[in-house]
Amino acid sequence: MSTVTEIARRYWLPAVIAAFCAAVFWAANYFERVPPILKRGIQPSDFPQLVSCLIIFLSLLLALGKEQPKPKPLSREFLLSLALMVGFIVVATIDLFLALGAFAASLSALWGERRVAALLGVGLALPVGAFLLFDQVFRIRFPRGLLTSIWYG
Amino acid sequence: MEAALSGLAALADPGLLLLVLAATVGGVVIGALPGLNATTGAALLLPFTLTMEPIAAIAVLTTIYCSATFAGAITAILINTPGTSASAATCLDGYPMAQRGEAGRALGMAAVSSTIGGILSVVCLMLAAPLLARAAYNFAPPEYFALTLFGLSMLASIGDGSPLKNLMSGAFGILLATVGIDLLTDVERFTFGMPELTTGIGFVPVMIGIFGISELLIQANSLGDLRERISVKTIRLPSLADYRKTWKTIARSSGIGTFIGILPAEGATVASMIGYNEAKRWSRTPEEFGKGAIEGIAGSEAANNSATGGAMVPTLALGIPGSPTAAVILAGLMVHGLRPGPAMFTQQAEFAFAIFWSMMLVNVLFFGIGLAGAKVFARVSLIPTRVLWPCVFVFSVIGAYALDQSMLDVWIALAAGVIGFFMRRYGFSVVPLAIGLILGDMLETRLGQSMVMLDEKWWLLFTRPLALFFFALTALALFGPLIWKIAARLAVRRKNAGR
Repeated sequence: MSTVTEIARRYWLPAVIAAFCAAVFWAANYFERVPPILKRGIQPSDFPQLVSCLIIFLSLLLALGKEQPKPKPLSREFLLSLALMVGFIVVATIDLFLALGAFAASLSALWGERRVAALLGVGLALPVGAFLLFDQVFRIRFPRGLLTSIWYG
Repeated sequence: MEAALSGLAALADPGLLLLVLAATVGGVVIGALPGLNATTGAALLLPFTLTMEPIAAIAVLTTIYCSATFAGAITAILINTPGTSASAATCLDGYPMAQRGEAGRALGMAAVSSTIGGILSVVCLMLAAPLLARAAYNFAPPEYFALTLFGLSMLASIGDGSPLKNLMSGAFGILLATVGIDLLTDVERFTFGMPELTTGIGFVPVMIGIFGISELLIQANSLGDLRERISVKTIRLPSLADYRKTWKTIARSSGIGTFIGILPAEGATVASMIGYNEAKRWSRTPEEFGKGAIEGIAGSEAANNSATGGAMVPTLALGIPGSPTAAVILAGLMVHGLRPGPAMFTQQAEFAFAIFWSMMLVNVLFFGIGLAGAKVFARVSLIPTRVLWPCVFVFSVIGAYALDQSMLDVWIALAAGVIGFFMRRYGFSVVPLAIGLILGDMLETRLGQSMVMLDEKWWLLFTRPLALFFFALTALALFGPLIWKIAARLAVRRKNAGR
């Protein structure tokens, strides 16, 4: 492995964390500043900047410490599950419960479930049951969508 | 005394008792399911408690906490997979006992030691929490600031991450807590023009994400791990000889667990490890540990269940969570508009004692339910992940939405889940993040108030004896292990030089 790759592999994590905190520090500079009489001890930007500096310092310590063990490679199932989650976000804009049913059944199938009854259970009965429970018992109003609009009228 | 009796009377409501019973069963099921633990269970069930009265809501959450902590032992003994991390030490002796046909005896000892440990710690909670609250009445903002800092410094030694990574995770949680309107100055911070963010990032969606959804992703990355299950034919209580052998261990571990639980942020996992190690250290037969020693189960289980009562002491008396699950319970208290702290024991003493009594009750309930239903619960542990986790996802999403009925909270939960997964993947525990998120606001407010009080001369913080004491404890928590390591290394070097 080349030295550059090795350095990148070793320091990318503390570097990303430090860069994120540097961005937070910079963004905090744009907070409104209050006059001394109203600032009640500290300016609104002081505390987030203090914490950002602390994390940057800890990132430096992390970079200087011993090399971190390489994590287990990401499995195909994991990547597909993550893709399903992205799909869930897209479908949820049409209808939350349609997305929940589709995600639950697809995830179950992806993880190896082949029984139709089980797939119907998690993909249909579970979201419908959960919807009725929260709607009727806990009086939670869900966002209107393709299916929920049928119920809400 | 009057408050204690009123609390008991408040719990005497049949509806509430039924709810506690149902939550006990629910908690045992949650604890028996590998991957789900008391913290995840409490986070997932938090939205269900929104419509309940505060006493009922918090009683449900504490019941889940106690019963799930106990139930982790069921899977630890029967399938060598701790239902909760607090039962990891129970695997060491529980599973070998089960392999040689003594699963019932092991489960019996787990139930007995858990119950004794749990009850002793609740007694301690009843006595210690009001005393601590009374002492905290003398705290001014600088003392509270120092105490909160001490609580956060204890994050260094918890969970599965390294101390450095735990501190980073905690600091990240504190940073998240700065999102929204600054309470001291009314200035918006990191809201990016989104009105939903002016009230800050909600505890509930973040907790559902980092505990529930991140675990789903971890399960996705480890599908196919096989588990061997041992059948349990009969459950029998430990014999008189077993009690004679273990009573000292149970008493010792209960004390250790309660003490560790009281320490801010330290929970049942650390308690069970120390309880187990101490049981081995004091045992007449330490060579049997790891091969099926009943004292090992007693040491671990008494400690992890007694930590639950201990953890509620700083949670209720000071508003500083004593464990990860206590952090979720603290979030539950805040969601219900309750502010834990000294005032809780004067203005809402009945409420506090109702919680104590419900914890006492659940420790008795799970003894019966755990023993009678161990065979069923062991079967529950084998619900396939391909069915269980889609269900968890559905309830996670609905739970995240339910609190403020906002889709933004759903996206926050999903984002927190993905971030939580990658944090855990790279060795960062998510528990400090949750605790940092809860304590961040308190830390900043107390710092601001201290600065006003001390006329912006921050160095005066170190002139107040009690604050100085907490700062010293903070330094000890952060640098103590390092100093200890250096001292040990120097001692070895000196010894070698002397030869």
